[in-house]
Amino acid sequence: MHLDELIIGQYFPGNSLLHRADPRLKITAVFIYVAGLFLAGGFAGLLIMAAGLLLALAQARVPPRWLYRSVRPVAALLLLTFLFQLFLHGGPVLGRIGPVPIYRDGAREGGYLALRLLLLVLAGIVLSLTTPPVALTDAFGKMMAPLAKLKVPAYELALMMTIALRFIPTLLMEADRIIKAQAARGASLASGGPARRARALLPVLIPLFILSFKDADELAMAMESRCWRGGKGRTSRRRLRLGPVDAMFALLAAVVVAGGVAIGRTSGF
Amino acid sequence: MRIELREAGFAYLQGTPFASIALAGVSLCIEPGERIGITGPVGSGKSTLLELLAGLRQPGTGSVYFDGLPAARRRKKTVPGPGRIGIAFQSPESCLFEKTVIADVASGPRNLGINEAPARERAEAALKSMGLDPVSYGRRSPWSLSTGEQRRVALAGLLALEPEVLLLDEPSASLDPAARESLTGQLLKINGKGVTIVIAGHDMDEMARFARRLVIIDEGRLAADGPAAALLTDTGLMERHGLEAPATVRLSGMLAQATGRPVPPFLTEASAASFLRGLSGPSEPREPRHAS
Repeated sequence: MHLDELIIGQYFPGNSLLHRADPRLKITAVFIYVAGLFLAGGFAGLLIMAAGLLLALAQARVPPRWLYRSVRPVAALLLLTFLFQLFLHGGPVLGRIGPVPIYRDGAREGGYLALRLLLLVLAGIVLSLTTPPVALTDAFGKMMAPLAKLKVPAYELALMMTIALRFIPTLLMEADRIIKAQAARGASLASGGPARRARALLPVLIPLFILSFKDADELAMAMESRCWRGGKGRTSRRRLRLGPVDAMFALLAAVVVAGGVAIGRTSGF
Repeated sequence: MRIELREAGFAYLQGTPFASIALAGVSLCIEPGERIGITGPVGSGKSTLLELLAGLRQPGTGSVYFDGLPAARRRKKTVPGPGRIGIAFQSPESCLFEKTVIADVASGPRNLGINEAPARERAEAALKSMGLDPVSYGRRSPWSLSTGEQRRVALAGLLALEPEVLLLDEPSASLDPAARESLTGQLLKINGKGVTIVIAGHDMDEMARFARRLVIIDEGRLAADGPAAALLTDTGLMERHGLEAPATVRLSGMLAQATGRPVPPFLTEASAASFLRGLSGPSEPREPRHAS
């Protein structure tokens, strides 16, 4: 797969309950969901929370192939997490890979941590897939507004987050183009030892850094030329109001997280 | 090298709501030593076509053949290596990365396993063929050069690999007219040495100067493929595909309309001068007058 075909931080249009829910509520739900993942403490709890997330994704009509593309960038990290734990724990021997024994506790712990990491990533992806970037900025800005009294530049921070999200696909496209251009000159990123591979990254990283600074500079100038003056005195055309859809979403999210944590901590599995 | 596309199609992000068809059923054969221009409106699929020709992407439907051998999916060895096909994307100068010009140009041959001294010799020859003096430019930082010079350095980096085919995506975009003219001149010289050159772009004046054969792509489909002189003078064809005929062709049309006389469809400086002399009859060349 080419880098420019990866999907990270892109909005998937739709009109589901998840799409219509208040973005502030969705951000809060993600934070609570992530906290729930760490509190659940057992497989049963994680499975319930995974089921809740999958139901939400199905309801939002996100195609599995689309989801697979979103998760693919972290697949190696998930596998590494699993394998690392597999050989670190003891317990009864389940089987062997050549001379290396596989212990039950290692498989269990590896599976648990990998699933938790996967759900953690998925929760973030669900938020960005069902919330347009502008709504995310609005919500972050509103949620951090009380901090403005402490002279925290809340709106600017929210905008920075959105710009970072917005630029991920752009940078991936640029990285893809540079990798292909250097490959056309015989550069290989996938062969040799670690030192050789690290050196081979320079022809990609140096142009990518230069382009990123150029992009940032041009964006700043474009914003200034359109009279951008920060969050001071800024009003919003869209007003966020909580409604029945939000109440339903909050209730369902609370049931999933509370159920997952309660069952995870009591079932012993 | 002979490159052939048979009914090739390609779609980005296939199977997702953002899927977009870039190419559909394109058949094209590029013979060794040709000088081809690929043109079409913005977003017509020109850049994707270049990537398929370079073997950097595999067509989703149809197939691509290099020297008569099909490029198999998932088998990189069936695609010719960087030593044989060189490709430069838009603004290739943004991929410069070494501290000096000579090191950047020599990095390609070094990647191919060529030793330092012969790699340097190749780099010097490539710089010369792009009209840059290796002695005065070699030790300079690529970032101290003008955009036109940087672009030539980037293209020299491809030439140093001594490829059989050069695929260039809008090589003269964002260059000033003098730099454009000079770059086209260098490319014609390189093609004269037997290197196949394919240029993608929508500058019809550049196509008129450079291409012997023209390929028009519109909405991912092959709209026309034939001698550049014939296609570029077909103003109806150009308009149908959202393209503007080269300035020389438009001037020729205007002169024919204004004078009611036949005008060569492709005006050069010499043929334009001869036509204008024919209008006013023989006369002595006048001394140019300067304002005092």
